[in-house]
Amino acid sequence: MKRKEFLGRLIGELTHFMLEGNPLRMVVSLHQEEDGAHISIFDDRPRPDDELKRIRSSLNPKSHRPELAEYYGTMAGHDMAWDARLKLIGWQIKHASVENTDDGLRIDLWLGSDAFNPANFTLHEKQ
Amino acid sequence: MERTEKHLYAVMTTILCTMALTGIVVDGPSETMQGFLTLQTHAGRLINDFTTVGVGAALLNSALVGAIGLVLVYFVEVSLSGPTIAAIFTLAGFGFFGKTPLNCLPIIAGVWIAARVAHKSLGSYSLIALFGTALGPLVTYLMFDMGLSLPLSVPLGLTAGLLVGVFLPAVAGSMLQLHQGYNLYNVGFTCGFIGLFASSLLLATDSMASLTIVWSTTYHPVLMLLIPVISLFLIASGVVSEGFEQIRKTFSEFSKIQRLSGRLPTDFFDQSNAGGTLLNMGLLGLASWSYVWVTGAPFNGPVLGGIFTIIGFGCFGKSLKNTWPIVLGAVSATLLFGKDLTAPGPILAALFCTTLAPIAGQFGMIAGFIAGFIHLFMVETTAAWHGGLDLYNNGFAGGLTASLLIAILQWYKTNRPMEDFRQ
Repeated sequence: MKRKEFLGRLIGELTHFMLEGNPLRMVVSLHQEEDGAHISIFDDRPRPDDELKRIRSSLNPKSHRPELAEYYGTMAGHDMAWDARLKLIGWQIKHASVENTDDGLRIDLWLGSDAFNPANFTLHEKQ
Repeated sequence: MERTEKHLYAVMTTILCTMALTGIVVDGPSETMQGFLTLQTHAGRLINDFTTVGVGAALLNSALVGAIGLVLVYFVEVSLSGPTIAAIFTLAGFGFFGKTPLNCLPIIAGVWIAARVAHKSLGSYSLIALFGTALGPLVTYLMFDMGLSLPLSVPLGLTAGLLVGVFLPAVAGSMLQLHQGYNLYNVGFTCGFIGLFASSLLLATDSMASLTIVWSTTYHPVLMLLIPVISLFLIASGVVSEGFEQIRKTFSEFSKIQRLSGRLPTDFFDQSNAGGTLLNMGLLGLASWSYVWVTGAPFNGPVLGGIFTIIGFGCFGKSLKNTWPIVLGAVSATLLFGKDLTAPGPILAALFCTTLAPIAGQFGMIAGFIAGFIHLFMVETTAAWHGGLDLYNNGFAGGLTASLLIAILQWYKTNRPMEDFRQ
């Protein structure tokens, strides 16, 4: 279950990050397609603009880093004792969007194969 | 390719070409080539100083081993950045005492097979392939030191190299989880673990020769001046890459690097700019060289290898701030146990113990000092465990030390009663 382990690692690191803010409420949602997936996580702790910028840059690295993703990416979600490291997620996904909602922080991760195009995602059609 | 990456390719190519040319000039083309060919038939187990064969041959071998790394990085289309530059410097450094093109290539080919099996690109496993060459002596030991005939020993060595290369990606990922990125030479830890099995198998078949130390104490001006020249070149490249008018920014980025923990994977080129990172690399090189000079240890192959590795990791986890407490711990242990600071074990431990720099970076000076102290007496015994087959013996000892300390710290951190739910 390669996909299960991959998603588990990403969700683990992401929840680790959100829990560092000590939220009173946190929701994780996953939707899978054949060629990709969408993970959405939100809490009740809005973040200041500079922190949003920092999260965005960690989750959306400037360049493709396969050498880091495959090797060090396996550390994602394994360690809850020290600081969460969003870069470990950023190297392994296609795109992340980060924003404050009315209630708190919302992070959306889009991941999948090279063929996967988040624009074709069917979640909204189904809704 | 970005401007910074082009600049880094120019810097690395200049260093490697200069080393190769210096080698040829120092001993003359014929002697250098003859020495280089002799080195290919050396087992290269710890500690085997290649400068005893010839300074020119060692320089040429080091440059060519480093060039293998640079060419691989280029062709597998991964960034020439912190981790890959650290790998290339480490390859070149160990080209002075253990790695040869002959013993590196089968392991890289093995990792390529593993990548094919896992449906990944070699680029994805490029760091494991490059650092995994630490087990090179296994290849050349089986080829040339077992006393078998060449038609039998050469295929045996190649097969062993391919096999360990195939296993490396699987084991390297698991070893990371043990120390959580606090041992910078993780593949060294991995190779030591694999080396234990290889060495035990050789012992069981009564084919393991005892360890010997080949250690030059001869002064040679080229070896003495190599590190200051490279370090100053890196500092100058850092200043040039950002422009003289940006020199204040270069220093401010350098001080930003000093505040990073260095825990794997921290690419300083990513976290800072090229100027600050190259400055950090150059200053680490000068500081390490100064330590060796002050203690009066020889500037031979293994010592240069240690300093090369420190310079390389100066863009991938090591800074002046997070390395000195570790070195202080190792030096204190050396003095406390009545050892000579210039003896092979202690001088190499003082250089390579900086693999534990992220512990000082994350948990502070005292934790770093303790890590360095433990590291010294661990590293003195671990080489025998894998029969000197793992060139990154300090990575192996560092992995054990980091795993112990992190397990204790993790237990302490996850058992804080004040954060429990109210009863």
